[in-house]
Amino acid sequence: MTTAPKRILMAKTGLDGHWRGPTIVARALRDAGFEVIMVGMVTADEVVRAAIDEDVDLVGLNIGGHVDVAERAIAAIREARPELPIFCGGVVPPWAKKRLEEKGVEVYPPGSQLPEIVDAARRLTRWQAD
Amino acid sequence: MNFSGLKGNYFLLFVNKSFLASRRPATPVSARPIPQVHGRMNHDSRPRRWNTVSGIPLKSFYSAEDVPAEHRRIMDAAPGAAPFHRGAYATGYRTKAWRIFQLSGFGKPEDENERIKFLLANGETGFLMEHDRNTADHCYNVDHPDVLARREDVGLTGAVMQSVRDIAICMDGLPIESTYGHAGGAVVQHAPFALAGYWTVAKRRGLDLRTLAGTGQSDFFLTYLGCVTKQQIPTPAGLRFNADIMEFCSKHLPRWVPVSIAGYNGADSGLNAFQELGALFANAVEYLDEIKRRGSMSLEEAARGCGGVSFRMSMDIIEEACKLRAARLMWTQLLERRYGITNPKVANLRIHCVTAGSMMTWQQPLNNIVRGTLMALAGVLGGVQSLGVSGYDEALSIPSEHAHQMSVRIQQVLQNETNLAAVTDPLGGSYYVETLTAQLVERAWQFFDEIEQQGGFLATLDSGWLHARAAENQHAEFMAQDSGERVVVGVTDFREDISPYEVDGFMGVDDAFDVAIARLEEVRRTRGERRAGDALRELERVCRGSDNIMPAMMEALDAEVTLGEVGDVWRGVFGDWNTPIQT
Repeated sequence: MTTAPKRILMAKTGLDGHWRGPTIVARALRDAGFEVIMVGMVTADEVVRAAIDEDVDLVGLNIGGHVDVAERAIAAIREARPELPIFCGGVVPPWAKKRLEEKGVEVYPPGSQLPEIVDAARRLTRWQAD
Repeated sequence: MNFSGLKGNYFLLFVNKSFLASRRPATPVSARPIPQVHGRMNHDSRPRRWNTVSGIPLKSFYSAEDVPAEHRRIMDAAPGAAPFHRGAYATGYRTKAWRIFQLSGFGKPEDENERIKFLLANGETGFLMEHDRNTADHCYNVDHPDVLARREDVGLTGAVMQSVRDIAICMDGLPIESTYGHAGGAVVQHAPFALAGYWTVAKRRGLDLRTLAGTGQSDFFLTYLGCVTKQQIPTPAGLRFNADIMEFCSKHLPRWVPVSIAGYNGADSGLNAFQELGALFANAVEYLDEIKRRGSMSLEEAARGCGGVSFRMSMDIIEEACKLRAARLMWTQLLERRYGITNPKVANLRIHCVTAGSMMTWQQPLNNIVRGTLMALAGVLGGVQSLGVSGYDEALSIPSEHAHQMSVRIQQVLQNETNLAAVTDPLGGSYYVETLTAQLVERAWQFFDEIEQQGGFLATLDSGWLHARAAENQHAEFMAQDSGERVVVGVTDFREDISPYEVDGFMGVDDAFDVAIARLEEVRRTRGERRAGDALRELERVCRGSDNIMPAMMEALDAEVTLGEVGDVWRGVFGDWNTPIQT
């Protein structure tokens, strides 16, 4: 049975413009059948607005700075849409990874393989493309 | 925490002891669980194409007949003589070791100052000032709404320097009269501020700018390809800034490298070895053509000024060493064919290299010490003048003190224990190396021509053509990992489920934002408001005309104009670059 593709919002929480990581991930997700909406560098308020406006099924945050800033975005998303799953990637030290995982956020640090990330997106959106 | 009262040996001892303690296993070896190793283990059955990383097919060995005839004619040229592929200087490292030159900086200006002093005390031979990415790259003050929304990020990747006072704190006690310094200003719109700030501090110390040796960066690859900011001046304004800096240096700072084209930032975004070469020289001709069009300074002097470039060193170490040989050859060819310049003092390209940050793995990070060593070795075999080695914790955080020290030690081992300094161009004459050098030159000129056909380097940045080339390679690199063709130890193969050798990642400091806010308020409260206002209006007037912006920048910095105010002038006069990529 065919279902409409799931939608993923990809955002950067910091003002660091390195785009290599999120672009590679976005392409892999698109190749796997997801609709990916990239909004670049956004604040906590902006990421919530984009998640609601675009009616997405999953949010991917690229962390290019301090984990506190990502946590502010995560808290804002949780408040607006508590059921919306979130995963993260970027330069995340092990202590920060642990802290995010304790909040129920999956973390894919550098070196994560694309199939792992695509599998996570399928699992988190409960979607299997045909 | 503030360690400023704990300088010197006591502090080092403290750090090193805690570093060792964190690595000492808490349980006896016999009681520890045996790590399970995951991932593919058997390499023999794996399908493999034997290519360089940039895709040049490799034979299993090379003979004299493989070397192209045209290249064979220049093989016996000596280092330090045209066409310079064998080395920029005749006596190589016998007379001058390469400069140990590490990226450094975080937190408050005094944190960065302390780290730079630590590196110099450990044997670094030049120093490099990183400015905070949030504020510097965007020319925002710390109270800009986009920065306020991310206050914890402030100071994470460089010190916050919003006025000449902050720059003076960062440079306090640094021997700028005798040590090669990098003022920062990697991003094009930030360079005039960083340079004018550094030079103003030097003038206030009573130094003659004509004696000052150092460099800025103002790199188009970083600004418009590798690390695209939220707001940035358009590329034609960037070209004007860089040409203005070159003119200003030719008049006032003859020993300064005004702009440094950093192929590194193209390569770590995805460009392969010959694309990095082709694009770097396509960038150089934009600068030189602009200077020629202006007719305001000697073209030879301009060529000398932009002949200090940087490349990335990555893990295909023979290809990377050949890339540096190819670069010197191409620069000689370019200057002669396009500009008629044959002066050997201009035609010898000087090269800084940084080892590839993207090759450093998050998993099993101590393996990165080996990677850093190998990539540094490639640079040395290729004949660098200056070298930075990425921290082993690169994929986790900015470098810890220990990671930074290791980056220096790797270079010191190479300089002092290996005998590599004895012979210039040690790979020269190898059939393989000479063939690959010639092949890289050929393919790089083809890529250069493609860029010219697109309308030139700036046009390929504006259109996103160059970004697309980089993205294709990124994708291919990850697909090769998927297929098993590309192995990364500890990542695709030989993975461990538990490891006693973890690294925490550097925490930085937590008061950079608060201190930056307080200092910004203090500058606004205590500077001469009238002079600052006049300087800003003059800067805007110059920007709207065609005069060189740097004299007005020097006055602005001396008048304690802040970073965000300069950025407001840029945004008002030049507008915003239309980013061709969606990040």
